[in-house]
Amino acid sequence: MGEYQLDTVLSAVADPTRRAILDRLRVSDARVTELAREFPISLNSTSKHIKVLERARLVERHVRGRDHVLSLRAEALGEAVAWMTQYREFWEQRLAALEAFVLADADGDVDADAGTTSGALR
Amino acid sequence: MTAVVTVSRRIAASAERLFDAWLDPKSLAVWMRRDGSAPSGAVADRRVGGAFAITMHDPNGSFVHAGNYTVIDRPHTLEFTWRSAATHQTDSVVRVTFRPDGDATVVEVRHELLPDAEAVQRHTAGWTEIIDRFARTLAENGDA
Repeated sequence: MGEYQLDTVLSAVADPTRRAILDRLRVSDARVTELAREFPISLNSTSKHIKVLERARLVERHVRGRDHVLSLRAEALGEAVAWMTQYREFWEQRLAALEAFVLADADGDVDADAGTTSGALR
Repeated sequence: MTAVVTVSRRIAASAERLFDAWLDPKSLAVWMRRDGSAPSGAVADRRVGGAFAITMHDPNGSFVHAGNYTVIDRPHTLEFTWRSAATHQTDSVVRVTFRPDGDATVVEVRHELLPDAEAVQRHTAGWTEIIDRFARTLAENGDA
C-alpha cells in the first residue's frame, strides 16, 4: 500500500460520520439516498462523505439504472491494519529484547559496557 | 494523517534501568535489533535536540532508523522523532513512558505518525476503535 493511499484511508476513517457509514455498509449495500435518510445529515453532505470514502477506496459505487448503490470494500482497511500490525510487532519484539537485555544483567549495571567486561564473568 | 500504534510490556526492572538501556547507545546496539541478527550499530547524542542513528541488520540488508530526542525526562519519559524506510523517511514521533508498577515497570511505546499531536489525540479513539473492530471482523470472516 502506497503512503498516499494509506493517508487517504486514515483520513477517511478519522471522521465519525464516515465510520458510521462504513458500519452501516457492513450490514448490507445501500443506496446513497437511503444513507442520507438514515443519517441526520443532508444529501449533499452525505455525498461529500461518500466521495471521501470512495477516494480511499473503502467504498465502491455501482450504478444500477437510476440507483447508485454503495458497497463496502474492506480490503483497503485490511491493508491499513496490516501496515499498523507490522509496526506493532516491531515494537513488541523490541520490548521483549529490552526485557531480555536488562534481566540478563541482573546486577543492574547501568553501563552495559561495564556490565559485560567486569564483575561476575571475571 | 494519523495512525497511532501503542505497545506496552511489564518488565521486572527499575524505571531508571530501563530508561538508561533505552538511551545508552551501547545498550541499544544489543537489544534494538532484529531477532537473531548481529548487534546493531548505534550512535546517540544524548541531549534534547541531539540525534541518534541505529543501523539494524536483517536478512534483507541493513536499515537505518534515525531521529532526534525531543524529551529526555529520566526515568519517566523519552520522546524522539523516528524515520526510516518504513516511514518513507518522514518524521514520526515515538514516546516511551516508564511507569513503576510494584517491583516492575510498565514500558509503553506510543508511535505516532502524524501531522500534529493534536490531530492524533482527537482521532486516536476512533481510529483504535475501528481498527479493533475490523481486526475482529477480519478474524471472524477469515479473510483479509
